[in-house]
Amino acid sequence: MVQPQSEAGDARSTADRAQQVNPWLAALARASRPWIGATVIAGSVAGLATIVQMALLAAVIHRGVIEQVPVTGLTTLFAGLILTLVIRALAQGLQTRFAARCSEQVRRDARRRINRHWRATGPVALAHTSSGTLAREWIDHVEALHGYFARFLPQLALSVIVPLTILAVVFWLDWLAAIFLLLSAPLIPLFMALVGMGAEKLNQQHFETISRLSGQFLDKVRGLTTLQLFGQTGSATDLIEQRSDHYRRITMKTLRVAFLSSAVLEFFASVAIAVIAIYIGFGLLGFITFGPSSELTLFSGLLILLLAPEFFQPLRTLSQHYHDRAAALGAGAELIDRLNSPVDPRCTNGVATADADKPDAQSISLSSVTLGFQENNCLFRDLSLHVEKGEVIALTGPSGGGKSTLLHLLAGFMAPDRGEIRVLGRAPGSFPFGWLGQKGFLVHGTWADNLRLTTPDASDIAIDSALRNVGLGPLLDSRQAGIYSAVSEDGQGLSGGQARRLSLARLFLADYDLILLDEPTAGLDSDSEVFVLEALHKLAVAGKTLIFSTHHQALLTLANRVLLVSGGEVRDA
Amino acid sequence: MRELRPWLRLIFRRPGRLLTGGVLLFATLLCGIALLAVSGWFITETALTGILLAAGTAAAINLYVPGGAIRFFAVARTVFRYLERVYNHDTVLRLLTDIRVALFTRLASAHRRLRNELTGAQWLSRLTSDVDALDTLYLRLIAPAAMAALSTALVVALTAVLSDYTTAAGVGLILLGALAIATLAVYIRTRALAFHQSDRQESLRTAVIEHIDGFAELTAAGRTGKHAAWLMRQAHRVTTAQARIDTRVGWHLAGAQLLINLAAVFALWAGLGLLQSNAVSGPVLVLLPIALLGLGEVFAMLPEAFGKLGATKASAVRLNRDCVPVVDTDPPDTVDCPEGIAVMARDLAVRHPGHVVVFTHFDLRVSAGERIGIIGHSGSGKSSLADTLAGLLPPAHGALSIRPLAYLTQTTVLFEDTLRANLLLGEPDASDSQLWRVLELVELGDRFASEPRQLDTWLGSGGSRLSGGEARRVALARVLLKEAPVLILDEPFTGLDTGTRERISKRLDGFLAGRTVISLAHGPDALPGTDRVMYLTA
Repeated sequence: MVQPQSEAGDARSTADRAQQVNPWLAALARASRPWIGATVIAGSVAGLATIVQMALLAAVIHRGVIEQVPVTGLTTLFAGLILTLVIRALAQGLQTRFAARCSEQVRRDARRRINRHWRATGPVALAHTSSGTLAREWIDHVEALHGYFARFLPQLALSVIVPLTILAVVFWLDWLAAIFLLLSAPLIPLFMALVGMGAEKLNQQHFETISRLSGQFLDKVRGLTTLQLFGQTGSATDLIEQRSDHYRRITMKTLRVAFLSSAVLEFFASVAIAVIAIYIGFGLLGFITFGPSSELTLFSGLLILLLAPEFFQPLRTLSQHYHDRAAALGAGAELIDRLNSPVDPRCTNGVATADADKPDAQSISLSSVTLGFQENNCLFRDLSLHVEKGEVIALTGPSGGGKSTLLHLLAGFMAPDRGEIRVLGRAPGSFPFGWLGQKGFLVHGTWADNLRLTTPDASDIAIDSALRNVGLGPLLDSRQAGIYSAVSEDGQGLSGGQARRLSLARLFLADYDLILLDEPTAGLDSDSEVFVLEALHKLAVAGKTLIFSTHHQALLTLANRVLLVSGGEVRDA
Repeated sequence: MRELRPWLRLIFRRPGRLLTGGVLLFATLLCGIALLAVSGWFITETALTGILLAAGTAAAINLYVPGGAIRFFAVARTVFRYLERVYNHDTVLRLLTDIRVALFTRLASAHRRLRNELTGAQWLSRLTSDVDALDTLYLRLIAPAAMAALSTALVVALTAVLSDYTTAAGVGLILLGALAIATLAVYIRTRALAFHQSDRQESLRTAVIEHIDGFAELTAAGRTGKHAAWLMRQAHRVTTAQARIDTRVGWHLAGAQLLINLAAVFALWAGLGLLQSNAVSGPVLVLLPIALLGLGEVFAMLPEAFGKLGATKASAVRLNRDCVPVVDTDPPDTVDCPEGIAVMARDLAVRHPGHVVVFTHFDLRVSAGERIGIIGHSGSGKSSLADTLAGLLPPAHGALSIRPLAYLTQTTVLFEDTLRANLLLGEPDASDSQLWRVLELVELGDRFASEPRQLDTWLGSGGSRLSGGEARRVALARVLLKEAPVLILDEPFTGLDTGTRERISKRLDGFLAGRTVISLAHGPDALPGTDRVMYLTA
């Protein structure tokens, strides 16, 4: 069995989390304040309309039953009543409309911040986290903020405004009844804390159990093939059933306690209504000889009774939205962790100091570059290197020797600790260049979509010839709509080699001066290898500056200069 | 609603529980309505009596029955609410178990090829959320809708009894409208949006993952900003659709509440007319509109639940699609193994569905007790061949016959469970001493003997508490435990150092005496002892 985490530990971490996340959420709320305000105003109007509605109902009944005014004499009141109902419905509808709009701005802001952080982090450091995790943060965690801004925050304000207004009205009608209401909800904040604690506990327990349960279920689904190989699917089914049932029993134990807190709210609300009804009844009979009850009429008595449930309604709604807060706190904490994760100063991409361009625009130079991943352990120390424009450079050497790091430095994906790098007279990464990573990069869409990703204004003809340059012509010809057919059709994706060639085609399309390639032929099938070699040769002939890391003999021959990167040194081989 | 039918059938397999939960829910709502209605009746009664008393007229009023009723409803409402919540959440958790078990059973019998396409972490998490959408179907949608219909009928009947039929008909009509607005109309107006919302979210996720995977290339081309802006627009589309659903749900809720309030106003207006003709008394006149107002709470949950019905339907469609039962494809020509032959393959073609043929014209004949090694570099189709021999992958062409086998797959699959439970998968009836023996064989005996819980050591999620080499050896031990005449071992020694590999190899020679072993590896040094070795060339 998995050991349940200690309860105390959970409670503390929740409090800490709230303390850390709340200011961040408040900062985000600032942008959508008008929408939150509009939601609260609409909600308040609906609340006021409810009070007016109840007052008109009580007045109609009072005049009809006590004063025995015929229906025809009550037309104005009825008209007012219907008007109020329409206003209440409109305000209610607008409240959800505003609430729905409310968090759009917040989510856009949060996503923009994450995008900025990604860019500041740069491709090298970003690759340390799985793209699935990053996507989950960008999509799901940001979505989790919605309920907090759209529902919880406005309701928090409404659960103060509406009950207080009702309390004031009841106080004016009969102060003793108002005191009953107040006594039943001794202090609204205390009440809310009670609700909150119950809801949070419930929520946490619920989610923990559910996620643990689904973890085990998914574990079995993932290993279904193995279970089948051993002929054990039947016993696994039994196990799922047993475990599920076991967790149900544990969960119910906590739920029984957790539901008590909401039962307390329910109990206070019910008892308050009962006490008020009986008090008013006895007051109307004249049995109560103290306090304001002698002035009670059917109108005031009925109105107080009708308002009593409305007094508690906003609090009950708030307790329903409490899980939104918990979700936002959880998601917010993880987002803050990501956004606060230090941006490695070495892993910045471009836009470095663009000081006065040196005249030397015809070469790439590294002067006294030092880079160490750890103190005392320099990868490069005082490295100096000079490469002329148009040269084809192969970097070779043992794995872990620093080939990729050198490429990252030239790309501006990393910055050196000391020293200076100039690429064709500019800071590395401050202008577009070609990059080919080890994994081919393609998106769902057509061939044209994929190529226009980096060169948006490419013509159809240019795209077609770029694809033919990397040997994808036959594949293209087999597709109905040419470059406008989807890259993966009928679930048939591209092989690793074809994907890399597609990436390579992008480099043909754009007129880059510098092209950096990380192991361009590693792991390719022999077909693709031939096409990649041919394509690189064409690029070299076209006068591009090519720098690539490789172990491949054919590529080494293609280069007009081979550099051996090993042990922190770079020298001509 | 055809998509939901199998799941509804599953839910309604517990009619007793559903009914009890429904009754508790109904009692809660009824007590809430009755508390207010009786209170209103009581106040009006006392007001009228009070006026008579003040005027000096003798008047009698029974205070005990209504007073007692008010106190009873106040307490009963709380008690029923509590019981209802506990009971119905218990039901939901039971339904969750039912659904998981049913889903697992169906997945297990589903076409393996189909399942293979769906193994990503994304699919698994979607599976969870789809199941969650279905397990709350009863508590969120079925029960509240039934309660709303029932309490509407009850209030209309009450009106007919206490007032007259015309009023009852009017109230009934208005409430019917409210019910339609809160349920069917919401569903119709949101179903298309809600149905596709999950797809939209998935394609957005794909786009974000592509953005991150291509971050280096996009950065180099100076296009991260532009591409991120495109992503923002895609995200905005998802957000807008959700906002539109929320807004529509909100308007329908407001509309339903408006109609309920109008019904109350109508009942009051009609009642005042009847009061004049002395057809109803004042207190009864008050009771009806207040009871109607109480219906608002019953209807409040409906629009949101029906706004999600489109998404729930989409979940059901996906789950139905993911567990299509096995369709009989042309079974490969099966030939019985002749005496003394363990494996026979003739003119075999191996191919992953939707991909090119890995290789063709593969012939293999292995005698019983023979040990062969098959060597091929990664990507040579070695694992596809192993899958085909083990019957996981139907051959694209050719004939294959093989005796019962145990198969160690290339990927190590361990379950989040104890060491014992993981090993027993191989041989459910194995004794502890048998388990220790195979553990000794793969040099894990001492490792687990020193653990405090020994065979009951928790291996963690996917064997995360073990090193890669240890996990591999546990998987190997599990296969060795299975008493099958044929063993297929795909890269049995991944993650093991040369020394361990050689020692285990030597021990296996003795342990496997008399059994047929086909081992596959990327190089000869990764194979256990063999009688002959074949090379696969792509």
